[in-house]
Amino acid sequence: MEQVNEEDWLDRELREAAPYIDDEGFTVRVLQQLSPPRRSHDLLRAVILLGMTFLASVLAYVASDGGRFVSVSLERLAALPALWIFVLALASGLVIAAVGATAAISRDRGLQT
Amino acid sequence: MELTDADLVARIFVDDDQHAFGELVRRHQSAVRGLLRQLTRTDVALADDLAQQTFLRAYKNIRSFRGEARFSTWLYRIAYNCFREDARRRKEFVGIDEEQLQAQRDPQVVDPGLRHDLMRALSLLPLNERSAVLLCCQNGLSHDEASRVLDIPLGTVKTNVLRGREKLKRMLADWGPN
Repeated sequence: MEQVNEEDWLDRELREAAPYIDDEGFTVRVLQQLSPPRRSHDLLRAVILLGMTFLASVLAYVASDGGRFVSVSLERLAALPALWIFVLALASGLVIAAVGATAAISRDRGLQT
Repeated sequence: MELTDADLVARIFVDDDQHAFGELVRRHQSAVRGLLRQLTRTDVALADDLAQQTFLRAYKNIRSFRGEARFSTWLYRIAYNCFREDARRRKEFVGIDEEQLQAQRDPQVVDPGLRHDLMRALSLLPLNERSAVLLCCQNGLSHDEASRVLDIPLGTVKTNVLRGREKLKRMLADWGPN
């Protein structure tokens, strides 16, 4: 029993001998040494992608005689039976949901490892 | 609601969120700097340099944190590795000198207080015993966690803790309970 008390005493003294150390700018100094966040690269990539998409859209519009093929396709689509349109919309929704779910699962796995 | 360490790690992992990392540094800086100060025998400047290295290395390797251990345990392991690499470079003497041990017990030596004596006694322990005692007795790690941090077998950790404590008790015999 005496042994236990002695160990308790030593443990308590050891714990109390480790007071809280004030930050005093330590965290700021660490953060200053980090490389710039990846987000800035992501932003640049997004701007480039959007720019390229816009440029490609303009080119496609001009090259396709004012996008006449779009109105023709829409007219054809409108002429389809309602059931076909429903099936098409349902299939598109399922494909998008499957892609989204797959992406979410793979990201979750990445976080867990 | 305060975010857990795991939540903050996830934010760094997904969004490279440096604010989240800053919060982790704020939370753990005291413990890491404290441990390193003890390991470096209270060389505050060196300990803080090593603590900075520890956090920078943690940020760089955050993807290798698998969440199997507590984040603090993972950080201690990095801190200990930083310290060990630095000690190797400096060829630090890590053994205990029996004469120093006797000097500690010399009644003519004026002792300003138990805390001071405890720090001196700790600094006289060999590195393997000092680090095991610091992790298990001061920072509250289990023997198993300490064995992961120090990368040594569980039995060796237990032996080092036991030996370290025995030496501390010998050096602090005048302060112990009667």
